[in-house]
Amino acid sequence: MDMDTLLQYQWNSMMPEFTILLTAVALSLIDLFMNKKKDRSLLIWLALAGIAAAIVFLFLQFDDGVVSILNETYRLDSFAKAFKFLMLIGTGFVLLLGVPDESTSVRGEYIYLILTALLGGMMMASSADLITLFVGLELLSLSSYVLVGIRKNNTLANEAAFKYVVNGGIATAITLFGMSYLYGLTGETNIYEIQGLMGSDVVTDNRFLAVFAFLMIVVGLSFKITAAPFHMWAPDVYQGAETPVTAFLSVVSKIAGFAIMLRLLMVPFVFAPGTREVITPDGVNYETLLVSVRPYLVLIAVLTILIGNVIALRQLNAKRLFAYSSIAHAGYLLVPLAALSELVFDAVWFYLTAYLLMNIGAFAVIHVMSAEEEVTVASFAGLFKRSPYLTIAMSIYLLSLAGIPLTAGFIGKFEIFMSALGTEPKRYLLVTAMLMGTVLSYVYYFGFFVQMYFRPSKHQTPVTISNGVTAVLAITVAGTVLLGIFPSVALTFIHDHFQFLEIFNQ
Amino acid sequence: MDYVFLIPMLPLLSFLIILFTRPIYKKAGIVGTLFTGAAFLCSLIVLFSHFAEGNYIVEANWFSLDTVIITVGLEVNPLNALMLVIVTLVSFLVHIYSMGYMANDERYATFFSYLGLFTFSMTGLVLSPNLLQLYMFWELVGVCSFLLVGFYFYKPEAKAAAKKAFIMTRIGDIGLLVAIFLLFWQTGSFELDVIFEAAQAGDIAPSLITLIAILIFVGAVGKSGQFPLHTWLPDAMEGPTPVSALIHAATMVAAGVYLVAVTYPLFSVSEVAMTTVAVTGGFTAIFAATIALVQTDIKRILAYSTVSQLGYMMLALGAAGYTAGVFHLTTHAFFKALLFLAAGSVIHAVHEQNIFKMGGLSKKLPITATLFLIASLSISGFPLLAGFFSKDEILATTYGDGRYVLFAIGLITAFLTAFYMFRLYFLVFSGNSSTEARESPSVMLIPMMVLGALAIVGGYIQTNWFGTFLGDWLETTPYSITFVHHEAPFWLPILASVLSIGGIALAWMMYVRKTTSIKESNERTGLHELLYRKYYVDELYQVVFVKGSRVIAYFWMYVDRFIIEGGAAVITGAVKRFGQAGVKLQSGQVQTYGTVAFSGLVLVLLLIAVLGGYF
Repeated sequence: MDMDTLLQYQWNSMMPEFTILLTAVALSLIDLFMNKKKDRSLLIWLALAGIAAAIVFLFLQFDDGVVSILNETYRLDSFAKAFKFLMLIGTGFVLLLGVPDESTSVRGEYIYLILTALLGGMMMASSADLITLFVGLELLSLSSYVLVGIRKNNTLANEAAFKYVVNGGIATAITLFGMSYLYGLTGETNIYEIQGLMGSDVVTDNRFLAVFAFLMIVVGLSFKITAAPFHMWAPDVYQGAETPVTAFLSVVSKIAGFAIMLRLLMVPFVFAPGTREVITPDGVNYETLLVSVRPYLVLIAVLTILIGNVIALRQLNAKRLFAYSSIAHAGYLLVPLAALSELVFDAVWFYLTAYLLMNIGAFAVIHVMSAEEEVTVASFAGLFKRSPYLTIAMSIYLLSLAGIPLTAGFIGKFEIFMSALGTEPKRYLLVTAMLMGTVLSYVYYFGFFVQMYFRPSKHQTPVTISNGVTAVLAITVAGTVLLGIFPSVALTFIHDHFQFLEIFNQ
Repeated sequence: MDYVFLIPMLPLLSFLIILFTRPIYKKAGIVGTLFTGAAFLCSLIVLFSHFAEGNYIVEANWFSLDTVIITVGLEVNPLNALMLVIVTLVSFLVHIYSMGYMANDERYATFFSYLGLFTFSMTGLVLSPNLLQLYMFWELVGVCSFLLVGFYFYKPEAKAAAKKAFIMTRIGDIGLLVAIFLLFWQTGSFELDVIFEAAQAGDIAPSLITLIAILIFVGAVGKSGQFPLHTWLPDAMEGPTPVSALIHAATMVAAGVYLVAVTYPLFSVSEVAMTTVAVTGGFTAIFAATIALVQTDIKRILAYSTVSQLGYMMLALGAAGYTAGVFHLTTHAFFKALLFLAAGSVIHAVHEQNIFKMGGLSKKLPITATLFLIASLSISGFPLLAGFFSKDEILATTYGDGRYVLFAIGLITAFLTAFYMFRLYFLVFSGNSSTEARESPSVMLIPMMVLGALAIVGGYIQTNWFGTFLGDWLETTPYSITFVHHEAPFWLPILASVLSIGGIALAWMMYVRKTTSIKESNERTGLHELLYRKYYVDELYQVVFVKGSRVIAYFWMYVDRFIIEGGAAVITGAVKRFGQAGVKLQSGQVQTYGTVAFSGLVLVLLLIAVLGGYF
């Protein structure tokens, strides 16, 4: 590749990534040369400025068409923009949660590792090549491993980081193994090239290898989205990590996981032949691979929903409970995918938006309360007496997580139901599992209500809330309620700016 | 009519104002009362403009998914104009009453804010022109009920009851939600008018309509405490008594009946669904009435009575008696709200709920006693009071529809109702009393008097003598509902009156006369023999009717306790076991996690290898 080709590329399509990269590099240098004893909160504000700039650049690209550069390895389409937008917003919230007040401090590494993790996530959303997708995945994972273990002297954090690394290693190996089959079958790493070659005779003769590759990638990536069977690390890691990191893992990392999952499962495999023969007017043919593997996706979705909700019933620690709740939500998010609905991208994106708002909000509440003690469900006792506004905010998040009307969570669930019932044949099993899961979830979400409103408190003083957290609470509450009452704002936004089906075009 | 949006908005404002100005504690009651009073006035205006202008509907786009446009709107038709008046009136009266009843509660303001939220949700539910909106308010009403039942959160029973109420009704709600989605995928709309047109044009397969109607009915069963989802309602009596009057007697529990009435065009297409409604309703009516015979807590008796009366309404609807069901819903709202408020007045005075520890209160609480008597007579179907006419209408409908077994059940229930209501009345109010009690303040008595007046005259909106105003007016509904009016056979009102008076007389002989006969027996005069014989008749009644029905009552109580609650326990137990197993697997050992993930992968791959036919 000569200089001319390199200069021809539309580099400005990568501006958001460059901004984050430069901010991360600059912050690490500042951190290195800054007086050891000086407060690091300046770095958080710089990081936030970087994120704000990246969001502005992203907005400027919104109405551009599909751009593909660097030998088609980097690809900017509506799908990428939509998911990058969510990840940037989510990371902004996480950084705001980490703004220290008088009594706490923040480490420089924490800030720029979050940025590199974000960069990895953005690459996962915007790559069109197995190799760059994998590099993005690893950048996100490695940064997260360190983030989880950043409290070196905390045994829980150490244990969590260790478990995270080991499980992540297994998951990565499985994903890579699946990807290697894809390469072996087609000789290509670009997923759009692979898509074109999936109809070839070689693949048709070795259909089962394509199916194996698909399922292995699903199982490997289920680690990132905390779906069954790779969900078990979540409670331990969520509990051990600092709360803002937990929020990052349960929201931003999960959004990235869904981004890579949707692209890597839908694009290469969309025309691939499946296992069963069907007789068509032009002779014997094969049903598509996505139809063949659907029962397995359904199985994973149903198991994830049930495991998450049932085990959450027995949790006393708030962060562990939210870990299981986050597993359950991953299950709901798998429903449109398992239903192979046409609305899969819309439904997943909207639900992730709602999930981002309500889950970050809930973790923000847990974060302010963890200043006092290890947060259990019982820590919420009498919160309404102590801090009524904080309680109202938490109530709104919980109602939204439970899917009660007039909240973003309801509209999100509603859209998922519509997607699962809009396919032919209708996915009653998925809908039933989701309804059952939702009913079970009422029990543990409303357990918080009983504590907050109906129990006397041990403490009398109001909970202290830093300015950064106040900002997060205000924005997420407003977002949760507004999206619940005026969902058309977000839905029209999707409709006007994102053509998700671009993802399939070469 | 364009101001109809004020009806839900005013209580919502009341809720928000009280929520955000919590320090002005003592003003909360007045704020709430004023706003709800204004909402009631608006409802009256809407009712009268409906007489003049007819039906009204306004809709706006809410959001669109793909090609589907979801709307929100407000609708006024005869059914919901009537419901609006009932809801806002009872809510207004309960607000006034609560200013006295809750005066010494430290969470006075919170209580009124919840009441405001509930009134908003309930009126919003009633005004909904589409099922999705209706469902959302339906859930919101459930949340309010949860908050209010658990209001005395320091009592563990109240907490448990709140949770039970919420989760039990939620089981029903899932039926409703599934029905709504099924309707959507059959008709492509949530709008009631579109759905009904499709159903009557035969665009939906008959078997599917039956399924949908039954699923909707499951939602109604949960909300209206019908068998077998009724157990939450008596427990919900742990809430403050004004709440029981508003939510668990007059409005929210009637929402199930309302739901069936709203979706009546679907039900009327399916014979199976209609029979399901009628049989469930009839069974619940007699089942709950027998249980009420042996209860000792004043509020629980009223709660079982509510379950039984709601069953009556369902029976009417299932027997093609649209008017009869709605009529009884209306009169029941008045006399049952009054019964609860009067019971609250008694509890307020003596701080006791066990009726065997009360007695002779009619001298101490003369106004409460009179009003309680009026309500009891009305619910017992005493001639010429409100309950008499609505109950007659139901019985006539059931008879005319040819459902003779259910008709007989209705008659027996009417007798039982009169009996247990007067057992309650005599035990509480007759005889001599030693307890200290003072009549409640007038702020509590005045709302009761208004309801008392309505419990007397409320029945005259629909009689065979003066005109069937209600029925004629309900026929102006925008939806196609077949109205069947069965002329009651001449002997029916007489038979009903005899049963009603018979039940009252039996209660009188057992609970009033019994005490006198014991006193007389010590004197051993000639009168004694006669009295003794009378007493013997009492004993006979006791054996034949009361003991017999007691056995049945206990039987059902045990069925209730062991089979239904046991079934629920099995399900929760299974969930718990699964949870325990999950927790056990979550050992904290990273090897286990890896093994689980790896086994999962192997399982999936093996499955596809075998099922896909590669081996």
